[in-house]
Amino acid sequence: MTPIKNRGFHGGYRFRNFEASPLDKLAAAGVPSKVTISLMQGFSDEVACLVQPGVQVKAGQIIGRDDERVSSPVHASVNGKVVKIEKLEYLGSEVAAVTISSDGTDGWQALQGYSARWDSLTAEQIETLIYLSGASGAGRSGIPTRFKSSIISCDDVEEVIIHGVESEMYGPLSGALLTGDCLSKFADGVKILRKMLPKAGFHVAMNAERESLIAGVSDALSGNDWVEVCGLQSRYPADYDEVLVSTVLGRSVPAGHLAAHIGVIVLDIRDVLSVYEAVVEGKPVIERTVALCGPGFTENPHVRVRIGTPLEHVIGGNLRADKAWRFLRNSALTGERFLEMTQTIDRNCDAVIAVHENDGREMFAFVQPGPRKDSYTPTFLSAILGGKLTKRGETNLHGEERPCISCGFCEEVCPAGLIPHHLFHYVERNIIDETLLRFKIYDCIDCNLCAYVCPSKITLGRHIKSGKDKLINEGLTCPRPPFALKGTGTQKD
Amino acid sequence: MKAVRSLLDKLYTVPQLARFKPVIGAADAILYGTNETTHAAPHVVDNIDIKRYMSLVIVALLPAVAAAFFLFGWRVIAIIMVSYMAGGAVEVIFAIIRKHDIHEGFLITGLIFPLVLPPTTPLWVVAVGVVFGTMFGKEMFGGTGRNIFNPALVGRLFITIAFPAIMTMNWQTPFASGPEAITTATPLTTFKSTAQTSTINPSVVEAGTEQVLFTNAGAVKKATQNPQSEFAGVQVYCMGDAAYEKAAHHRRIEEGKASRLVSYGDLLIGKEPGSMGETCRLAILAGGLLLIGLRVSNWRIPVSYMTTVFIFAAVGSHFLPAKIAPPMFQVLAGGLLFGAMFMATDPITSPFTKAGKYIFGISCGVLTVLIRSFSGYVEGVMFSIVIMNAFTPLIDQMVLMFKYRPVKA
Repeated sequence: MTPIKNRGFHGGYRFRNFEASPLDKLAAAGVPSKVTISLMQGFSDEVACLVQPGVQVKAGQIIGRDDERVSSPVHASVNGKVVKIEKLEYLGSEVAAVTISSDGTDGWQALQGYSARWDSLTAEQIETLIYLSGASGAGRSGIPTRFKSSIISCDDVEEVIIHGVESEMYGPLSGALLTGDCLSKFADGVKILRKMLPKAGFHVAMNAERESLIAGVSDALSGNDWVEVCGLQSRYPADYDEVLVSTVLGRSVPAGHLAAHIGVIVLDIRDVLSVYEAVVEGKPVIERTVALCGPGFTENPHVRVRIGTPLEHVIGGNLRADKAWRFLRNSALTGERFLEMTQTIDRNCDAVIAVHENDGREMFAFVQPGPRKDSYTPTFLSAILGGKLTKRGETNLHGEERPCISCGFCEEVCPAGLIPHHLFHYVERNIIDETLLRFKIYDCIDCNLCAYVCPSKITLGRHIKSGKDKLINEGLTCPRPPFALKGTGTQKD
Repeated sequence: MKAVRSLLDKLYTVPQLARFKPVIGAADAILYGTNETTHAAPHVVDNIDIKRYMSLVIVALLPAVAAAFFLFGWRVIAIIMVSYMAGGAVEVIFAIIRKHDIHEGFLITGLIFPLVLPPTTPLWVVAVGVVFGTMFGKEMFGGTGRNIFNPALVGRLFITIAFPAIMTMNWQTPFASGPEAITTATPLTTFKSTAQTSTINPSVVEAGTEQVLFTNAGAVKKATQNPQSEFAGVQVYCMGDAAYEKAAHHRRIEEGKASRLVSYGDLLIGKEPGSMGETCRLAILAGGLLLIGLRVSNWRIPVSYMTTVFIFAAVGSHFLPAKIAPPMFQVLAGGLLFGAMFMATDPITSPFTKAGKYIFGISCGVLTVLIRSFSGYVEGVMFSIVIMNAFTPLIDQMVLMFKYRPVKA
């Protein structure tokens, strides 16, 4: 029925059946006693703070907004009182964060002008609702509106890709997000976006093996020739913007640039649901559905969490006490570590992963049959067992770091077609010059798969990233493609 | 096991042993694995490590080792042990001097090296070879990952040139012992010494005998059918024919060790004289295919190498039957299978680019047939791999230059 698209995606690796993957179950985390909300959410710039310590706020009230910079408004996520405003570390930079102590009630203040009959709204009204709800701050470059919510404008959008592709070792299940009436909400959300972006082609991408889900989405969207539903192979990193653009559209994102630069907006299921909630229910983005993945949790549901909820509240009593756990944000391959339990969930958080902090030794580790050990090579029993036994998610290095032996695994899995170990040799010897440019270092999409498969335990991804940073320091930035880019302000004529 | 653990922990703290930390560390890592965890993303990593990777090569070599033991007896084990001890000592000394961990690569060098030696090699020559190979083939270049030449081949080459009498004249016939078991002829040597005589020199070919031994025989067969020819009436068996196989097998039983006939079946199961590990081709194939299946070695080099030898030999032996041996014989005889499966595939000393791997394999194949046919040496596998090792960086550079050539806008 739907073609399985597999254009232009070479390499990749399918993570199969890791232990304690999230279940098809949705729960609510409840209202926390305190939230800390960063004024920079996701890709956007930091917004100006609109509240002072001591004032009462309502959930859904805008506490930060900046119409001059590329951003979307930030909302209070609970009813209560602003306790303090302080600079906090957020993904490597210092950003102001508002702490609100909650009064425990779970109501929220609706947006002005929403309508359950969304088709009676004009495109401009929809734009306003999407912007004011904060739903426009989605993805890596936002949903364009008349306000500066994206690096490109509405007219620049040629294609919209909405994906529910699961390819991470641990990540949310699309099926869990689209249970019950969420499926029709999702379909309406897509239609709302289409009304706002009438010239764009829409593509909904799901894992090819989720046949019932694809059928459900196709059903809900049937009769609309502007939207295409397609199934993709679930090899990591199939859900990366660059990979989606090439597999779904057959186009390529110029190295070092965003999909938005060629007029493509990439969103996920939750972004579309937020659009629906904003326009039809008047609900701003005060909640996020987060998948609790990994063996650290006694249960692995998806939970509805207020933005700014501290990790400890999200986890609650749902934690196994028998081992030490490492908590990760969004991805086991590329995610940041949660260092403290007081760190909070933000808009871009879709998974909290708890893997075993395994600093234990294993007898004759290198000759173990390994029925539960995952490997790119079929050298463990797990390869013969297929997916019968779940694979362990833990942080042990499984070996000592060794010199590169050019085994070529990194090249085989690289979705960008690079030769990671070759780039690594240059960066390691600190040869930072045009050679790196020639070997297309900027094509790297930072998926870290090379570092995952490396038998010599070399952190290739990190070396390549530092190579890129050093190149930028040397003034050798990524060359612009020979065609005009959207949203860069300096388009060629 | 707790006692071992606490002993190891104690050893780390003995100041006199501080120097030998690499040795203790290696023992520790082998026994207990690592307790290190990932520092940052990726937080979870693949379970394979270099130890397992290298161990699998050893596992793949085990059929060849077992076959060698079966064919040549306990001497095989002695040679392997000497190789491991002498090579291991060099590796340990360099690890101590350089203050780094002991790298696992020598486990392979220490096993591959003895397998490419004649079973009669004196133990002291084994030690000299492996020490030279490890030292000048690997450590001089900076250790594992930086060597240009395959260390096992460097060692083999060194003792071949330094002790030619030992290395080329004494071959042991499988399943045999005592002085009469020693022969000077491997199948390749026999071809070289008889191919010309049996096809060119008519005096060798006497009517009524089965004197025609090694030839792809097209020319000879034609000659025997021509009543005017001096070859007329000579009984000819072509290599590869069923009749030849049968006759060869029959004569081998009749004549015993002195037979100069080679049967493909015997080549496959390892009944021909040759280096310890390279005679039983079935065992090599099993191990090589296992490695390819496990993705530990790449199929591109062995496939392109052997295909090239086959094609080149097929074409060459058609036009120059006196010089170039027939294709199946070329593929099965000598060290080709072992070299293609286990030595040309060494990832460190062969190109890492895909196109480079094909170039490497094809060049090795051409060189092997050329050296076997036209040089003073009977075997060319070792030389061709070493020569192509030297070209490996150049091949990779050329392929990369082409792959990443500037695109004209």
